Amino acid sequence: MKKLISTLTVLLCLNGISFAAIDWESKGMQMAGEIVANPSAFFYDFQQDLEGTTPLPPGKAFSVQTGLFPTLIPMTYLNLSGKYRLHAEGRIAPGVPQVDLIGGYCDMMAAKMAVKDSDTIDSAKLNGYYMGAILSSSVSPKIRTFWGYKRSVLGAKIEFTPGNELDLLGTKIGNIDTGFKDDFLMAGIETPKGTNKVWSMQLNYGLRTQTFSTKLSWSGRFFELGLNIYPEGVLVFHPVWNFHVNF
Amino acid sequence: MKKIILSLIMTAAVNSYAAVSEDSKIFTPYFDMTLLEAAYVPSEGNIFSGGNINTQVGLLTKITAKDSVFGLYNFNYSGPAFQPQDSKQFTDRSMSHGFNFEYRRSLGEKFRVRPGVSYMTDYVRSGANEAWQNGLYNMNSKGGQLAADYNFDFDRNGFLTAAYMVRNIAFPNYTDLLREFQNADNTAETSGGLQDQSLTQFSLRPNWNGFFAGYTVTQQNYKHQMVVDAHSGIYGATKQKDKSTTFDGGFRQKLWIFDLSPMLSYTMHRSNQNFLRYKSALATGFANMADGSNDITMVAKNYDYNELTFSVPVDLNVTGKWAIGGSINVIRRAYTDRGARDVDNNYTVAKQKNLMSTLTGSIRKRMNDVATMRLFYSLVVASSNNKFEKYMPSNYTGNSIGVAYQLSY
Repeated sequence: MKKLISTLTVLLCLNGISFAAIDWESKGMQMAGEIVANPSAFFYDFQQDLEGTTPLPPGKAFSVQTGLFPTLIPMTYLNLSGKYRLHAEGRIAPGVPQVDLIGGYCDMMAAKMAVKDSDTIDSAKLNGYYMGAILSSSVSPKIRTFWGYKRSVLGAKIEFTPGNELDLLGTKIGNIDTGFKDDFLMAGIETPKGTNKVWSMQLNYGLRTQTFSTKLSWSGRFFELGLNIYPEGVLVFHPVWNFHVNF
Repeated sequence: MKKIILSLIMTAAVNSYAAVSEDSKIFTPYFDMTLLEAAYVPSEGNIFSGGNINTQVGLLTKITAKDSVFGLYNFNYSGPAFQPQDSKQFTDRSMSHGFNFEYRRSLGEKFRVRPGVSYMTDYVRSGANEAWQNGLYNMNSKGGQLAADYNFDFDRNGFLTAAYMVRNIAFPNYTDLLREFQNADNTAETSGGLQDQSLTQFSLRPNWNGFFAGYTVTQQNYKHQMVVDAHSGIYGATKQKDKSTTFDGGFRQKLWIFDLSPMLSYTMHRSNQNFLRYKSALATGFANMADGSNDITMVAKNYDYNELTFSVPVDLNVTGKWAIGGSINVIRRAYTDRGARDVDNNYTVAKQKNLMSTLTGSIRKRMNDVATMRLFYSLVVASSNNKFEKYMPSNYTGNSIGVAYQLSY
């Protein structure tokens, strides 16, 4: 009990707080190692940043979207996404949910530019697409839940010029052809924060790779600010800024 | 995996009709999503990040005035974090999918019975970043439960719940690597399944006007794991059995501008398993706890302990939206027979005692009726008289800062 009291005293007085010296170099090397071990998973996290996986606002029939940060800037992902409403909530019969089709494409320009400036790389491609559908249903005037499926694919291919293959621990690597492909289930909830403003939270879960992420977003008339969290990713937090127009 | 997909699809499909149900009250959806992400700075080791995600999706379907069915899917991810001593590494992570279906039948005005079935799969990943499917401690659990509620005060939500639960738990990847290594003829089949067990639990929980209490007894019967004989030091013919008895209580109340939710629990864990401590792979000789510095020491009842946990979270509501929060959380574990070890792995006369205290300060913003956000800072102080910390830290200080969101409907 004495120990308990003394420990609580220490806690309450905030004495003896000891911070370890943070070894940023070691942390950086660890992160670099994780990227090298699974580069496609690292780049796929950025693809998820640009994927539009929330339902269309009630009353809107379709939309276009492009990711600005961290996708277009600084990752040089040219990207375009779209949503199309197949069925408005309750139109066929009361209670039948809204159904939206979603999809998009992205292509990393930096990979193409790297080829121009390099004598050792013949070609480099890093592009991806996604497609799926979202069901959304109002459960109260202030709450809408949504459920969805998406198929996401990312391709990464690098070809080295003959004689300039990548030397990895004595092993020559001629080409790198990797990628990421998975089927995701999504579940989320959204609540209005004002006219044309929505706050949402969702979980994305990849059935094959067991990749998962959560997306928090504040969506306005033209812009979406988000915080995407990839707990098992190299960069856990991705602040996100997307532009969209709903029609 | 097929089961998971099918269940998710079923849950999604059923819930999509929730909007109709709002009016008819036949269907009542339930959605709760909590997200926490934090940076951790321990006194030993480097900075790391971790978090917790919990998503619960449920649907209550009222079939008749007396009969209803409740289905619940639960996704939970526990990331790297500071851990109580003797539990797991900071870098360990786990992810689980749980499915629970319950039939509810009212018997008169005051009684209700709730038989149900449950399935859960749990993936555990260490800091080595192995694939989720390959975790040594991956676990599948299936079983049923029967609960009965007695409502004794309708006005103040007073009810008493008795529940009995049975689970069959399997660890498909678990194997005793040391045993396989020591005996070349041994196979994974004979060294595997040692964690497989059946679990039964009985609980009695009264609730009244925000106050709650509980008495829980949990019995774990291992199917293949034998007990190390305390005299010979070799596995005998007795199978391992563990039993935990827990008393807990607390309340959730709003007093003036304060939201209070203190909780206290006391657990007595008993196991018939013993532990043989080898100082090295080539150690010889055999002694009991009276000679704690011997190369091989038998520790009878090594896993028996009593644990006291209490937490006192308080939120001070500054305005309708903003609150300042603080909490103290203490976990104190005292082993009944296990001696504390010095830095050289010798047992001392004193019994091992662990203490982990966490002090948290936070700012909470209520975004609307269903959503909240919280920024927090926590200071953790873990101390123990066990000084042998080659594999697990027992004495450390840690700081964490993070953000948590909750959306619940």
